[in-house]
Amino acid sequence: MSALFALPDLGEGLAEAEIVAWHVAAGDHVVADQPLVSVETDKAVVEIPSPRSGRIAKLHAERGVRLKVGAALVEFAEGEGRDAGAVVGELPTAPPAAPRPKPITQARPMAEPLAGVRRAMAANMRRSGDEVVPATVLEDADIGDWAATEDVTVRLIRAVAAAVAASPALNVWYDSARQERRLHQKLDLGIAVDTEDGLIVPVMRDVGRRDAADLRRGLDRLIADVRARKVPLAELRDPTLTLSNFGMMAGRYAALSIVPPQVAILGAGRTREEVRAREGAAAVRRVLPLSLTFDHRVVSGGEAARFLSAALTDLERAR
Amino acid sequence: MAQSTDALIGLYRAMCLTRAFDAKAIALQRTGRLGTFASSLGQEAVSVGVAAAMRPEDVLLPSFRDHGAMLWRGVDMAESLLYWGGDERGSDFAGPRQDFPVSVPVGTHAPHAAGVALAFKLRREPRVAVCLFGDGATSKGDVAEALNIAGVWRLPAVFVVCNNRWAISTPVERQTAAETLARKADAAGMPGERIDGNDVELVVETAARALARARDGQGPSLIEALTYRMGDHTTADDARRYRDDAEVSRQWAQDPIARTRRRLVDLGAWGKAQEEGMLAEHAAAIERAVERYAATPAQPPVTLFDYTYANLPAELAEQRAAFRPEDA
Amino acid sequence: MAAVTMVQAINMALARAMAEDPQVVVLGEDVGRDGGVFRATEGLLDRFGADRVFDTPLAEAAIAGVAVGLAAQGFRPVAEIQFSGFIYPALDQMISHAARMRNRTRGRLTCPMVLRAPNGGGIRAAELHSESPEALFAHVPGLRVALPSSPERAYRLLLAAIRDPDPVVFLEPTRLYRAGSEDVADDGKAAPLDRAFVLRPGEDLTLVAWGGVVPMALAAAERLAEEGISAEVVDMAWLKPLDTATLIESVARTGRCVIAQEAARSGGVGAEIAARLAERVLDRLAAPIERVAAYDAVLPYPRLEAHCLPSETRLLAAARRAMGRA
Repeated sequence: MSALFALPDLGEGLAEAEIVAWHVAAGDHVVADQPLVSVETDKAVVEIPSPRSGRIAKLHAERGVRLKVGAALVEFAEGEGRDAGAVVGELPTAPPAAPRPKPITQARPMAEPLAGVRRAMAANMRRSGDEVVPATVLEDADIGDWAATEDVTVRLIRAVAAAVAASPALNVWYDSARQERRLHQKLDLGIAVDTEDGLIVPVMRDVGRRDAADLRRGLDRLIADVRARKVPLAELRDPTLTLSNFGMMAGRYAALSIVPPQVAILGAGRTREEVRAREGAAAVRRVLPLSLTFDHRVVSGGEAARFLSAALTDLERAR
Repeated sequence: MAQSTDALIGLYRAMCLTRAFDAKAIALQRTGRLGTFASSLGQEAVSVGVAAAMRPEDVLLPSFRDHGAMLWRGVDMAESLLYWGGDERGSDFAGPRQDFPVSVPVGTHAPHAAGVALAFKLRREPRVAVCLFGDGATSKGDVAEALNIAGVWRLPAVFVVCNNRWAISTPVERQTAAETLARKADAAGMPGERIDGNDVELVVETAARALARARDGQGPSLIEALTYRMGDHTTADDARRYRDDAEVSRQWAQDPIARTRRRLVDLGAWGKAQEEGMLAEHAAAIERAVERYAATPAQPPVTLFDYTYANLPAELAEQRAAFRPEDA
Repeated sequence: MAAVTMVQAINMALARAMAEDPQVVVLGEDVGRDGGVFRATEGLLDRFGADRVFDTPLAEAAIAGVAVGLAAQGFRPVAEIQFSGFIYPALDQMISHAARMRNRTRGRLTCPMVLRAPNGGGIRAAELHSESPEALFAHVPGLRVALPSSPERAYRLLLAAIRDPDPVVFLEPTRLYRAGSEDVADDGKAAPLDRAFVLRPGEDLTLVAWGGVVPMALAAAERLAEEGISAEVVDMAWLKPLDTATLIESVARTGRCVIAQEAARSGGVGAEIAARLAERVLDRLAAPIERVAAYDAVLPYPRLEAHCLPSETRLLAAARRAMGRA
């Protein structure tokens, strides 16, 4: 609803009217149908009611002014007024504290308490450190057969889905208190994203059953939401496994942290060209480093190796 | 029984003046030139109607929301502004010398009305005490005691309950289980009548009948006048915290001023020229009152001692002698 | 002239005031036909008629409030509250309106009323019939508070209260209503406003009292005299305003002060008196000011009441302490 209320059509072909008396003032709260102003036309003095409830921000014409139909009459304010909290009298309130000036020299940097995303990261990693028994396996995927325009993240997601199909033991939640594993039918993959505010991990749902185009769309929306700082809370919850494409910037291998109750995280480092032995000869190939960290309380080396092998196989396909 | 056209015009004009004055008082409060103010928006017909039925020699005992009655009775707008502006001189009415000032503790002036009426009865004067209060006041012991004593002593008093449906945030349904407030008169043994308080002619007619009864020695009555508090309880209240805008919107259809205007127009007794003329007159009168109020010099601080007693006791005289305004 | 008790003296004063001034009216519960439960208004209905004496319904707030309305219209109502503890419902009307009407209207409306009530204990009565609420009223600007301690002072103080253009709370010590009689001339002379009475001159110590404990203070002074202590006895009579001048003059001279009050100790009028003395005559005090009062416990029922209220024993002990004696 527009904040501006214009002089309405008063009918009978009248094109303008003169303000005779205002019945409200700026700052007043009015309700729909409450008389706002009396205006004079050729025929009569007419009371104009308010079209809506709201607070009057501004009166757009003074008494005595002739207004054309459609000209601005009254402007409504946005937002709430101040609660006086008194009913009778006025309670003195403390003025807002003046900002303290920063000292000119600082012996050491200002201490900053953790908040928001950083605070969440600290808590999660603490939990990880307290509970998980991590083991890490490293590999390199030969992606020399990829097209130049291949969508790396989508390929990684597909590879994880293939790896889960081959080794479902890594797509579980572990309840260490009860010593129970919960096997998941779907793969809800947490995608670790680095933002200005820190690490956040939105979740793409059921990636095993989605085609590349759908995955791309999902990723794009996810990135847009992250950039706009508008990721819905539901989309930050309950990943069954996590992918961290940390290599976008730098780093080859990493022993990443697993946040319980998950039991695995796959890290993808920076792709590089290197000389490899291929069919007995030296060849320069593009490789994508992989680091699989798993919780050895509940995932065996064999299960982890099978997972990694399947991921590798899928990634090394041309498409 | 309808009012004569001239009388109706007078009532209409008085209601319009009350509303315009009320709006001006709110504007003054908003700009720091008046203290907390209790608007009477929507209730003008009750106030004006009751006062219009009174004779000059009767005595009015108002609540804090009866500006229309007080103005009709001859309280100057500048006096009213002085009162709401925090200056006691606003209650030293030049006009109605025996009317009571605003009563702040709700309903506590009802026994005063009984006392005033008793004075009239003792002196055999054909005068009536008229007490105005709201729906909230009817829950107070003082009101029950006053009604009772007025009833049993057959005092020449009229008690008007201005039922505007709200006592700050308490709707009248949560104020009492009594079906109507008029029925509380039964407990006191006096007639009680419930009327549409937004019909100014009906208010005048009903009040006139009650006043005649009282003047005639037939004792007191209670009138419950139904209306609606269109504004907040005071300028420091925000009614949206407890009441729906939609409900308030619906009540505008019952606006006493609009209803009276329509009636006058239907009678062929009112038109554009008169409306404009009246609005201009009122605006000017209100401006002059505001000017008088603004131009009134503050009371010298030392006068705070001077009306506590008729003659200053020694201990207070000592304090007055040692008083320095700059110590505040 | 006849010997009259205090309650008879009160009756005389009422009749005198009503005879002199047609604006004086009397109202309260059972004041008319019954002449008041303590007979303070006996005979007034017969003598002055139903237009001057009104039996009210059972409604203390209304009794005080109707008096406010009558007073604003130029009458001089004398409203009776039947028992001390039933004055509390009238507090609101007295504090919110009676005390303020003059100030609120800048003198346009005034409140020349008297609210009289029995006060204090020692009468073996039910709960709330032995109250001493004088400090509640003495704290309120705009009111006067007076307590008589003898038939003659009752007559003269009540006349002063009725004639005062401002509201007066007149508290009558119930235990003294019939405790003795003396000759009182019905001459219509009022006591001076705001003035204490020096009932017994002395040099060594000032005994300050009011209302029901004044006879006890006088008896104590006699005993002290036997011990060679000359005690001056001051009956404050007006608790608001306090006659500071008489107090100061006395204590500056004697150098010692014992305050006796029937009401509970803390926050009572004795505290105000002690504060004023400390402000003005500290350098003349030879000993700390003593207060003998009821303990700050809820006033007991009759069986234990005497243990809570001040006694002559406690009063004498305080006097001796002030004199530096064991």
